[in-house]
Amino acid sequence: MKTPREILLARHRAAEPRLDAIRESSVAAVCNRRVSTDRTNERRSQTAATMMAIWRVLWHELILPARRTWAGLAAAWLVLLIVNFSQREPLSSTTGQPVRSPVVMMSWQIQQRWMNELLSDRSIPPEAERPRTMVPGPRTENFGPVVV
Amino acid sequence: MLAVAEREQLPVARARAGEPAAWDALFRRYQLPLYAYVFELVQDEQTSLDLVQETFIAAVRHIGSLRDDAKFGSWLFGIAHQKCIQQWRKQDRRETPADEIGDAPDAFADGPDDLLIRQEQEAEFMELLNQLPLPQRSVLLLHFVEDFSLEEIAQITGAQLGTVKSRLHFAKRSLRKILEDKNEDAA
Repeated sequence: MKTPREILLARHRAAEPRLDAIRESSVAAVCNRRVSTDRTNERRSQTAATMMAIWRVLWHELILPARRTWAGLAAAWLVLLIVNFSQREPLSSTTGQPVRSPVVMMSWQIQQRWMNELLSDRSIPPEAERPRTMVPGPRTENFGPVVV
Repeated sequence: MLAVAEREQLPVARARAGEPAAWDALFRRYQLPLYAYVFELVQDEQTSLDLVQETFIAAVRHIGSLRDDAKFGSWLFGIAHQKCIQQWRKQDRRETPADEIGDAPDAFADGPDDLLIRQEQEAEFMELLNQLPLPQRSVLLLHFVEDFSLEEIAQITGAQLGTVKSRLHFAKRSLRKILEDKNEDAA
């Protein structure tokens, strides 16, 4: 007497050599995956180490010897930035455009009009109104008062 | 040979860490039951071998998605089951509609070894197993081969727990009935 499990497994035991081969290839895939992961990690750590080395060299050769100069430059930039931001025009809450006063807008419009007038092409004279040609009709159609 | 009922300590944690020896142990443990399950569903040797290999590779790739290490077996069979479904879809073979026969009893007192088969009945048993509709066969195979719990079978097959219960109950009943009939005839 056998259990169903025993029957089922015994029936497929002949496939075991091929299953062993599949298992080995799958484990080899695990190894390859591990190697590739290790390589990627190694490459990442190498890149990080190189970046750190470059930064260290820059710090020691460029920044540290003239640290007062760099600090002064940084402070000057900071002041410039603060001034720049403080002098910016406030933005309109609805359009996001800078708010302009009506006086500025009017002067800008006047300026625009002058510019248009100045830049318009004056070499060609504007076309004059042509005289209307009058063609007299036949006398039979003349219904005016008849003077005898 | 490992007994089915006992839950052995599998090196899943080490496999998760990418240790090849742990994967080798896991694959060695499951290769034959997995192949038996897949073969009985797809009925083709080469396709079954391909599906087992695909299952192993998918397991290596997606081991991070396994939440509970103790459920490695059912997780692996779940991958294989999905592969079988994909294979059926490829072949444009429509799965037999789930045959809901009625309510099954709430608990199963009998284990996978309660059905003992005589040597001369083995061929008949296999023939009978292949005659069962696919959903019933799948559930019965999972029960026989790995003694998965009903919850685990439901998880593997993606079916409702009640459906799994009824499938298993009626599959076992019909199998036992036919075997008993054969015994009576032989007597």
